[in-house]
Amino acid sequence: MAGSRDVKRRIKSVENTRQITRTMELVATSKLKRATDRVRAAAPYNDALASIVGSLNAPELAEKFPLLRRPERVERAAVLLLTANRGLAGGFNANLIKEARLLLERLAGEGIETALHIVGKKGIAYFRFRGYPIASTRVDIGDHPSMDDAESVIAGLRDEFAAGRTDAVHIVSSEFISATSTPPRVTHLLPIQGRSASGGLDNFILTPKAEIVLERLLPAYLRNSTYRALVENMAAEQGARRSAMKSATDNAGDVLEYLTRSYNRARQGQITQEIAEIVGGAAALE
Amino acid sequence: MSELQVRVVSPDRVVFEGPAASLVAPAWDGKVGVLPGHAPMIALLGSGELSIDLPEGGSERFFVAGGVLKVEGDDLIILTEYGGTEAPEELPAGAQLDVGEILEAMESAG
Repeated sequence: MAGSRDVKRRIKSVENTRQITRTMELVATSKLKRATDRVRAAAPYNDALASIVGSLNAPELAEKFPLLRRPERVERAAVLLLTANRGLAGGFNANLIKEARLLLERLAGEGIETALHIVGKKGIAYFRFRGYPIASTRVDIGDHPSMDDAESVIAGLRDEFAAGRTDAVHIVSSEFISATSTPPRVTHLLPIQGRSASGGLDNFILTPKAEIVLERLLPAYLRNSTYRALVENMAAEQGARRSAMKSATDNAGDVLEYLTRSYNRARQGQITQEIAEIVGGAAALE
Repeated sequence: MSELQVRVVSPDRVVFEGPAASLVAPAWDGKVGVLPGHAPMIALLGSGELSIDLPEGGSERFFVAGGVLKVEGDDLIILTEYGGTEAPEELPAGAQLDVGEILEAMESAG
């Protein structure tokens, strides 16, 4: 009987685990739904903003506008790594960390001085454990990143770039293609990408003035790109967690099936043995 | 006659998307009208009524606040901080536009 009792206990514990993973799967599913809506809502504005900033991205304005400057040689680069505050999301955080490490190594290989800024406990824990110098950390971005969150994350880096203390800003975050496809991605935020409108800008009527339009648009563009990265990253995290928890739940089901079978076999064996003993005892009396 | 392809986008949604015969938007210093074949233009927006005349007649009216308008070819994009059928009770922070400040900035820049 001792053997079957052990099996019984394991069945109970696996059932409890399955209950937890299933709940986490459901929570992630509902958060994913909302996060996906936000990603979808943010995309058109961001694309349109990028296209306008792209047409204003002219070399002749760069001299007057520090945010548009294009350093000839990149000497210092800032890397902003977005990770989750929580784990249990499959390879989500590990993939982001790996991408960031590769980027840092590549930049270091080119002789560029790097500063690492991290959002999310998981990335912080990894780089801190490895003793890597971290320039700044943030753990206060919740499940619903807002424009204000984006502004506070990017403001420091934007000012550093404008002041010439850093020559490039890269964001490492997850691209949200679908709930099951969320590869890490490096966004080169600054210097501003996009078509350099050499001469093209002369054709535009700019009202009131290019400088004044840019003064308003550029910060909005940077804020919006950061917002989009935060929102996409959150959706990707929920998607990854849902997949991880779904496979954990399925796996618990398989384990349960196996355990139940061995429990039944042990019980059946015991009954057979008891009958054999009774039959044997009765035969001995005759 | 060719048509304008108009997209009006606010941070949380696409307010309007489709063809238009003409459009009147509230620029920073007054209303600006756009017909097909307009020269390329980028203009700051103030707040007020955006009226879009549809090619099949009739028109759509929205309230927009802040942002920017871009015309290139017959593609017209309006990016606005706020876009809806009604004026909001309070304008979003980014939508406030100080015309005096802009005029001052233009003068000091020469």
